[in-house]
Amino acid sequence: MCIIRASVTAVPQLLVSTVLLGGIYALIAVGLTLIFGIMRVVNFAHGEFLMLGMYLAFWAFTLLALDPYVLLFVSIPLFFGAGLLTYTLVMKGVIHASHNVQIFTTVGLSIALQNVALVLWTGDFRFVRPWYYSVVVRLGGTAFNLSQIAAFVVSVGFTVALFAFMKWSYTGRVMRATAQDRDAASLMGIDTDRVYGLTWAIGIVCVGVAGVLLAPLYPVYPTAGLQFVLLAYVVVVLGGLGDMVGALLGSLIVAAVEVVGSYVFGTAWKEVLYFLLFIAILLIRPAGLFGQRGTETLGV
Amino acid sequence: MRGHWPALVVFGLAALAPFFVRDAFLLDSLILILIWGTLSAAWNVAGGYAGQVSLGHSAFFGIGAYSAALLATRWDLSPWLGLMVGALLSTGAGLIIGYLSNRLRGPYFVLATIALSQVLLIVASRWRGFTEGSEGIPVPFRPGFWTLGFADKATWVYIGLGAALVLYLIQRHLEGSRTGHQLAAIREDEDAAQSLGIASRRLKVMAVAGSAALASVCGTLWAQYVGFVDPFYVFSVDLSVRFALGAIIGGTGTALGPFLGSFLITTLETYLRATFAGIGAGLVGIYLIIYGLLLIAVVRFVPQGLAGWVRDFARRR
Repeated sequence: MCIIRASVTAVPQLLVSTVLLGGIYALIAVGLTLIFGIMRVVNFAHGEFLMLGMYLAFWAFTLLALDPYVLLFVSIPLFFGAGLLTYTLVMKGVIHASHNVQIFTTVGLSIALQNVALVLWTGDFRFVRPWYYSVVVRLGGTAFNLSQIAAFVVSVGFTVALFAFMKWSYTGRVMRATAQDRDAASLMGIDTDRVYGLTWAIGIVCVGVAGVLLAPLYPVYPTAGLQFVLLAYVVVVLGGLGDMVGALLGSLIVAAVEVVGSYVFGTAWKEVLYFLLFIAILLIRPAGLFGQRGTETLGV
Repeated sequence: MRGHWPALVVFGLAALAPFFVRDAFLLDSLILILIWGTLSAAWNVAGGYAGQVSLGHSAFFGIGAYSAALLATRWDLSPWLGLMVGALLSTGAGLIIGYLSNRLRGPYFVLATIALSQVLLIVASRWRGFTEGSEGIPVPFRPGFWTLGFADKATWVYIGLGAALVLYLIQRHLEGSRTGHQLAAIREDEDAAQSLGIASRRLKVMAVAGSAALASVCGTLWAQYVGFVDPFYVFSVDLSVRFALGAIIGGTGTALGPFLGSFLITTLETYLRATFAGIGAGLVGIYLIIYGLLLIAVVRFVPQGLAGWVRDFARRR
């Protein structure tokens, strides 16, 4: 009886935690799924850009005393530039190559970036501790961290802006046209190479911003991106690779699994739960919950 | 013996090395080159010949390492038994992954293999009662053949060489045999292969499971040689990438390529580690930056790898 009452009082807290966590995961996953949807490339270096975002926030905070939320505005053009640069130097040459070449190109990029961080900034765990770091907000029986809410709000705002951009802007339409049919888009006079560059850069901005937002919440170290990006893979496969709405719902599902799993089984086993969920999805419905059936066997 | 002479030179030199080299550091490098080369060759069976690219082969490596270590520490059983148990378990895991490869292609398959290695990593590092958790297991050293305990580095060179030769011959078999040609057909165009009556599903599963068992055997040998099993190392994505890297740089789908690749990356690593270790521990990462850039450059400019490039060059002449 006591246990049941305990779980009933925990429900609002679990719900709020799920939504807050899901919002942040969504921003990481949306970038990944956008790049896959349009370029047909799974970015294995996605987590490294998240890590770079976290380091950017750390250095701006430590050296310049710049608050992560102020830095946000600077980080957008910075990551857009970084995205364009990596696209031109690394991705442009393999955009029409086979899957295996693309996979190992991004894996190579991931190894290189991770270790650039290791060499420049060592493997130490670092922390960003602004004044609001330990501020806890209590509301109707739930408690949460102020920076978690801030991260959630910015994250959701950003995702909504991206959706609006994709739906209504001319460039967004051009990007969607390229996603639907590379060759037809190219015949309609669309410069697909520019579209790919832009897509890659926008995806990198999403994940870089997510990194800045996560910096006050998690420790920063060279392989910090790995845990988040593994999770983002689960999210995007769950929602259907390339499906942006699916990525949003996938984020909420994975966040729910993580939050409820940690509450019931303890935090040590939460990762097992979402990997099992991942393998189950791959076995039962690899195209994802909303993806088109059969895409997984085509490898597209 | 046609076409075997480059291998004869390479493995012959390795076999003669213990007679001339007394330096423990150099012998240690040679043993690691052979073991990593054998692992890249095991990866090559699935990734190169059958085209089933995996980034989760550390799962099988770790199963092999843990099986022998656990059997030896918990039940006092011979590592040879552990080697076989590991190979059996890995074959089982390989069958599951191989089954998945029939449903998933390209990036989906890669993601599934990563997930498998990560699940095993979490289980090994959290199941404290059985695996000692994240602290890892020191492998007991008991001298003798039955307990796989050899203090002499020369013996390990020959063990590594034996494993390398077996893998080399398996790969050569895949190049010349009917099965090998069928796998190549599946790799190049699975739908076309299937329409020609090749049992592609069964063959793919067999290639992946076989590759898994071989990787597991190497895992056991490695753990017995190094003497310590750390879950965060043996199940890491980095290690899986390393197996693939050796085969890709050396040449996927070539028998000698993985050993060539392993030679290059292991010597580069040892050299740079030795050079930078004195200046600063953080600088050790430089060799990994070079790995990453090398990988990007090789898949783009020399996708057939070094051995493939040499072969093509020789053919053109």
